[in-house]
Amino acid sequence: MPKRLSFALLLILALLVVAGCSAQEGGFVQTVVVTATPMPLPEGAKTVLRVGTGDSGEGLTPHFKIIEMFEAENPDIQVQLEPVGSGDYYARILTQIAAGDPPDLLQIGDDAVPMFVDRGAFVPLDDFITGESYPLDTSIYLPGVMEPGKWQGVQYLLPKDFSPMAIYYNKRLFDEAGVAYPAEGWTWDDLLATAQALTKTDASGNVVQWGIQLPGPWTTGFEYWVAAAGGSLISEDGTSFVGYMDSPEVQNAVQFYADLYNKHKVAPPPADMNAFGGGNSEFDNGTAAMRLFGRWPQSGMKENPNIDLGVAPLPAGADRAGVLFWGGFGISSLSDNPEAAWRFLRFYTGAEGAEIWKDWALPTVKSVAEESGLSTDPIEGVWLNELNHLAPRAYVFTPYWGQTADPALRRVLESAILDPNANVAELLATAAQEAQAALEDVQQ
Amino acid sequence: MSNARAVGGRRHSRNRLARREALTFYLLISPWLVGLLLFVLGPIVASLGFSFTRWDMLTPPVPAGLRNYVRMVDDRLFWQSLSVTVRYTLMYVPSELVGGLLLALLMNQVSAKGIRAIRTIYFMPSVLSGVAFVVVWMWLFHPEAGLINATLARVGISGPRWLVDPNTALTALWIMSLWGLGRTAVIYLAGLRGIPKELYEAAAMDGAGTWHSFRSVTLPMLTPAIFFNLVLSIISTFQSFTSAFVATNGGPLDSTLFYVLYLYRKAFQEFQMGYASALAWVLFLIILVLTLLVVRSGQWWVYYEGEER
Repeated sequence: MPKRLSFALLLILALLVVAGCSAQEGGFVQTVVVTATPMPLPEGAKTVLRVGTGDSGEGLTPHFKIIEMFEAENPDIQVQLEPVGSGDYYARILTQIAAGDPPDLLQIGDDAVPMFVDRGAFVPLDDFITGESYPLDTSIYLPGVMEPGKWQGVQYLLPKDFSPMAIYYNKRLFDEAGVAYPAEGWTWDDLLATAQALTKTDASGNVVQWGIQLPGPWTTGFEYWVAAAGGSLISEDGTSFVGYMDSPEVQNAVQFYADLYNKHKVAPPPADMNAFGGGNSEFDNGTAAMRLFGRWPQSGMKENPNIDLGVAPLPAGADRAGVLFWGGFGISSLSDNPEAAWRFLRFYTGAEGAEIWKDWALPTVKSVAEESGLSTDPIEGVWLNELNHLAPRAYVFTPYWGQTADPALRRVLESAILDPNANVAELLATAAQEAQAALEDVQQ
Repeated sequence: MSNARAVGGRRHSRNRLARREALTFYLLISPWLVGLLLFVLGPIVASLGFSFTRWDMLTPPVPAGLRNYVRMVDDRLFWQSLSVTVRYTLMYVPSELVGGLLLALLMNQVSAKGIRAIRTIYFMPSVLSGVAFVVVWMWLFHPEAGLINATLARVGISGPRWLVDPNTALTALWIMSLWGLGRTAVIYLAGLRGIPKELYEAAAMDGAGTWHSFRSVTLPMLTPAIFFNLVLSIISTFQSFTSAFVATNGGPLDSTLFYVLYLYRKAFQEFQMGYASALAWVLFLIILVLTLLVVRSGQWWVYYEGEER
């Protein structure tokens, strides 16, 4: 009997070991790199600020540059950057918040703003912005870039960088086919006709060149199609998906999108559903004439010998509309030094910071964009002009978008892309009900 | 050592030896034990507490009674993830047991000298980073450019879209995981090496051929190793995570939504820590029951040397 017992014990130990191992494999383990800034001097010599970011690698360079500039001007403050890579950034800061020890400043992506703010993770900034000693002139910003940092009319975060959506095109392929470059004012019909004119098949019917590379079942990017169709995914009071997600406008959007894949066959099928943007490489290889996406891969495309790059505005459906992707910083409500944190935040996301960010992403400050010539640049100007056509994303109406409707919408897109015979109206009706039930459940 | 002692002191010294052995055992295991008590046991107990609350990690937990457990009954994705995991376990565990054994038998044919190298080669994938090898397999499975479909295309077969197709994605993950057979094979190999030669000699004298001596000598002598592998394999397969997390994120259409991936999603993407904790405890109970069943069944088919039957 004791032998049995010890065996059982061993088994339980083995169980735990295995549990431990698989947890480690999954990338739960994060590396925290702390800046080379030396440890704080004793006795109130400096206030130490910690900054949490999900950026990594090359993306950290602008952070370091701005921190260096700020510390030179503000000898009483020392800033430590705490980057968390590997996609586990939110998990980490949630753990830090739960443990009562988050960084003073936190970087958050657009759709996570309501969730964090609604639960009191951030300090409202309005009093700081209009404050006596360190006010911030918010009219310096480009249109639309402050909105994602607001929740219920109050500013909680300030913009770091952003990207609208637009259409990349390969001039070489357009010239070869004798097709005119797309320009402002073009419509969904023009998009389809252009894509059809640029799709080529060989003698045996295999597609050798695609009209447009689309971002697969990427829900966030899909919001462009919804906005341009004149629809919305959620009611403005944030309580209803039914009657919105399943509306005729959203049906049109899904149907048009899926038809580009399955009916017209002008878009290459996704190579990797899970990859950001569908995992296709046709545009990079010079075998797709257009690509719908954000600005992130643009610098690589400019250097790609297969591509003679142009960027076109989004085509209009029922409406001329687009969507914004955004990252910003706010001050943790658990910070011991909100005043010092504000001074850095104001610098980080203000004109001084934007001067550095502009070399890595689109700058948020109008004067920086204009003086650097970006506003009039044939490519960058297109991106900046998209700011004049922004429609609100669905997440701005509820803190629960990510856990209720987003997965439901994703299932719709996956089904519609994978199955040429999918009944879009039915899919959306089911999804809207599922999302509604999830929303009611989570709000209970 | 006992030479120096009087014969009458033998029993005493044996006791001391046992105690010293025990002490060494605990000393050697202590880093792990301390780590377990400090860093693992606490969270495990805490998660049981959290499972009876609603907790988003940002605001304090709110008591919720059995709500999280009741909620699973109506949660479509809970059942989907359980079904995916059970199907995957039914695919993977038998293939790992049989495949590992075949691999071990092959490796056992190699001379004693070569075996180290072979063993290392086959065990290597088990120690490599899970993420890295999943990424390599994702390239192999790429529907157009991947080596697998390119090879199939050469012989005129138009390959499936593997990870992009809900009908083949789980199979693709299964193929991927067979890469790790070396782990079980190494355990079998140790078992094979431990079978006394005399048994085979005796079997040969009784006229047993290869198949017969495999069935009547090798297999029974290996049952402890098979048993060990079976238990470990069930436990680890039920907790599969990495391949789906990296390669498919549970898709397409939830066809590779492993239980632990769903749990992870609830905890760290949807911030429902209470529900995720409840999911973890249900998984623990499932694994516990399965493991106990397997252990129970062991008395019918596991044969230990020196045991009377």
